[in-house]
Amino acid sequence: MPEGDAPGRAERLGRQFENTLLAVVLFLMIGIAASQVFLRSVLGSGLSWADEALRLLVLWAAMLGAIAASRDNVHLRIDLLSRFLPAGWRRVSAALVDLFAAGVSAVLAWQSWRFVSESREFGDLVLGTLPAWAFQAILPAAFILITYRYLAGLPRHFRPRRAAVERDTA
Amino acid sequence: MILTSLALVLLAVLGAPLFAIIGAGALLGFSRAEVDLTAVPIEIYGIAETPILLAIPLFTFAGYVLSESRAAARLVRLSAALIGWLPGGLAMVAVATCSLFTAFTGGSGVTIIAIGALLFPALIQAGYGERFTLGLVTSSGSLGLLFAPSLPLIIYGIIAEVSIDSLFVAGVVPGILMMLALAAFCLWRNRENRRPLADFSWREVRAAVRESIWELPLPIVVLGGIYSGYFAVSEAAAVTVVYVLVVELLIYREVPWNRLTAIVRDSMVLVGGILLILGISLASTNYMIDAQVPQKLIELVTRYISSQTSFLLLLICFLLLIGCILHIFSALVLVVPLMLPVAAQYGVDPVHLGIIFVATMELGYLLPPIGLNLYISSYRFNRPVLDVCLATVPFILILFGAVLLITFVPSLSLMFVKQ
Repeated sequence: MPEGDAPGRAERLGRQFENTLLAVVLFLMIGIAASQVFLRSVLGSGLSWADEALRLLVLWAAMLGAIAASRDNVHLRIDLLSRFLPAGWRRVSAALVDLFAAGVSAVLAWQSWRFVSESREFGDLVLGTLPAWAFQAILPAAFILITYRYLAGLPRHFRPRRAAVERDTA
Repeated sequence: MILTSLALVLLAVLGAPLFAIIGAGALLGFSRAEVDLTAVPIEIYGIAETPILLAIPLFTFAGYVLSESRAAARLVRLSAALIGWLPGGLAMVAVATCSLFTAFTGGSGVTIIAIGALLFPALIQAGYGERFTLGLVTSSGSLGLLFAPSLPLIIYGIIAEVSIDSLFVAGVVPGILMMLALAAFCLWRNRENRRPLADFSWREVRAAVRESIWELPLPIVVLGGIYSGYFAVSEAAAVTVVYVLVVELLIYREVPWNRLTAIVRDSMVLVGGILLILGISLASTNYMIDAQVPQKLIELVTRYISSQTSFLLLLICFLLLIGCILHIFSALVLVVPLMLPVAAQYGVDPVHLGIIFVATMELGYLLPPIGLNLYISSYRFNRPVLDVCLATVPFILILFGAVLLITFVPSLSLMFVKQ
C-alpha cells in the first residue's frame, strides 16, 4: 500500500484496529482462563462469572477472526474448478463468488440484527447484570463488515491493472 | 431443491467461501420450512454457549507461538540423541518428532515447514534417497492428529457430542500404530543403508536435554494432565498457552514481542474461519435434522448395504474422496453430522468413528488435488507437486493399511475407553 493516500491509510488503520481488538480479546481470554485453573487447582475455588465471560470472549474472538479472515481473503473454501478456467472466465467466476458471499453475509447481517433487537426488547442479561445485546452485537457488526469486504473487493476482479498503475504512480 | 443444491455445489467448487455456502443452505432450508431466519444467528450465537470451544483459540495460538520459536530444532536434536543411534534412526526421528509437533500445533501444515525443513537436508546427508526423503517428510507432516491435544479430535467431539477425553484416549493406540507402520517401512526400505546417524553419546543426550529443559515439561504436564483427567481440555489449553508464552518469550526469547500481534492475527484468522463454519453448520445441521435428511440417508444406505463391514469399506472410500477435496476442518462440520446417525445404524461406536474419521483424513492431507501437505512440501522443498505426489505413494499405501486395521479392529481404539 502506498503511504499517505486515503484508502491505504484506512486499510492500515482498519487492520491495526482488528489486530488490537484481537490481541485484547485473546489475552483477556488467556488471563481469565489461566486464573481459573490457578484458583481451582491451588485454592479450590473459582470466579463465578469467569466461565460465561470466557464463552463470550470466544464468540468475540471467532467473529473478529472471521472479519480478519475476510480482509485477508483466507476463509476456508474448496476451489477445485476456478484454477482450470481461462483468465477471463476466472475473473467472472471470482466476481460471481464474491457477490454471492456478500449476498449471504448481508442476509446473515440482517437476521443477526433482528436477533439482537429482539434480545434487546426482551431485556436478556449476561454476566448477571449486563445487557446481552451489547455482546451479541458482534454478530451483525461482523457480517456487515464481511459483506462490505466482499463488495469492496469486487472491482479488483475487473480492473486488474489499475491497482498496479496506482502503486507505480504513487 | 435439487437445483439450488447443484447451484451451491457449483459455487463451492468455483471457490465461494464455505461459510457462505453452508449459510445459504441453512437460510434457504429454514425459509422453505417457514422457520424464522433468526434461527441461523441464534445457532451461531451457540458458539458462546459451548464451553469446550475455549480450547480451540488457546491451543491454536500456543501452536503458532511454538512454531515461531526454535522448539522444533531442539525437539529434533533431542530425539536424534535418544534414538538416532538405531539403524534407520533418523527416519524414526522424523516420524516421532513430526507426530509430537503436529499434535501440539493442530495440523495446519506448520510441521513440514518447522520440522521437515530441518530433517530434509539431514536425511539426504545421512544417505537416504531423495524421493524417499521427500515422501517421508511430506507424509509425516500430518501424523499425530490422533494424539491429544489435536484440534480435529476436539472439533469432532463437539460436533458428535462425545467425550473429548474418550477420543484422546481412543486415539493413542491407533496413533502409535500409524507411527510404527511408517517407522517399520522406513527400516525395511533402508535395510541396505543402516548406517546409524551417530554413536549413542550420553554427552549429547545431556546437552540436548539441557537445551530443551524448559520445553520438556510441557508435553508431560499437558498430556499427563489430559490423559489422567486432572485437567479438563480447556484447562490444559490455558496451561499450555501460559507455559508456551513464558518459555518462548521470557526464557528462550526467540519470539520477539513485536511479532506477537502478527501471530495473534494469523492464529485468530484460522480460528475465526473454523468457528464461523462450525457455528453456521450447527444451523444447517438443525435444518437437516428437521427435514429428516439423516433418516432419508439411512434409508438409502441400508437399502444397498447390509453389513457393517461393507458399510465401513464404503465409509473409508467416501472419506478418502472427501479428503481429496475438503480440508479436514470443513469435512468435519459438513460430513460428521450426516455420517453419525448412519454409522450408528450399523452399530459403529461414535468414538471409534471419530478415530476412523481423523485417521482417514490424515491421508487426505496427502491426496491430490487439494492435499495441503503436497503443496507445502512442493513449495518448501522446491519440487514439482507431481514429484511430491509420486514420492508419497508408498507412504500413502502403508498408512492406508494402518487405516484399514484401525477401522476393522475397533478394540484398537476402544480398549482403554471407559464405556
